[in-house]
Amino acid sequence: MSSQSLQQQVTLLELVDRVLNKGVVISGDITLSVADVDLVYVGLRLLLSSVSTLEEQNEPVLAGRALP
Amino acid sequence: MIHVYGVVEELRELPPVTGVDGAPLERRELNGLELVVSDVAVEAVSQEAVLRHAQVVEGLMSRSEAVLPAQFGRPFGDERELAAAISTKANELERGLDRVRGCVELGLRVAAPSESPAAQSGTEYMQARLAEEQALAKLDEPLARLSRASTRGAYLVPAESVEAFQEEVRRLQAENPELTIVCTGPWPPYSFGAEEA
Repeated sequence: MSSQSLQQQVTLLELVDRVLNKGVVISGDITLSVADVDLVYVGLRLLLSSVSTLEEQNEPVLAGRALP
Repeated sequence: MIHVYGVVEELRELPPVTGVDGAPLERRELNGLELVVSDVAVEAVSQEAVLRHAQVVEGLMSRSEAVLPAQFGRPFGDERELAAAISTKANELERGLDRVRGCVELGLRVAAPSESPAAQSGTEYMQARLAEEQALAKLDEPLARLSRASTRGAYLVPAESVEAFQEEVRRLQAENPELTIVCTGPWPPYSFGAEEA
């Protein structure tokens, strides 16, 4: 593999890795709507959410269970 | 849904492209922070969307004093949800902007000559990654000296030090001919937005 095509391959890999895996996660400390009440969980691994909100976002339903 | 590209500081103008779903880029001001967003029907991870996101973030970097790139794949249901999340994170985001202002990210990858990315078993892949970790640790010190911060394989480098950093990489390559050292970037500071846990 030429050093130029290695560079290009690495750059594309690096770009996709940065866009998908790095970057600031603004929603990391999840704020969820449960009915009309917003619950904020900071640093906890237990999520409560309305089933429909999670289903809309194509997230697995986690209501009442701790994350692995 | 609302797709977020990043938090910006003193953005002069939006880049002349549409967003990941073809919708126009928009600016939002929340808690004294400025965000760039666009409307998406669904947050689909396609090559096109990922590249467009990256293109927008690059455009934001060249048009602002600082940018915190947002991670792809975390859309917000509505404006209220976005506002609530920003209000929770506002202080952290301000600190992030302070941290990255005036800097770019430079990436470092190292490969041993025998490494062939295409034909690796899982074990070979893990061994190659371990070898890379060890090589990166060896090369780290002179590069960290030119950086404001560093994390595995990525360095937050003030713009005025980029040339010296790249020169240092060339020097390290010459000193370590058995390695293939690839310096990527400059990138917007994707790896330096979040605070250490």
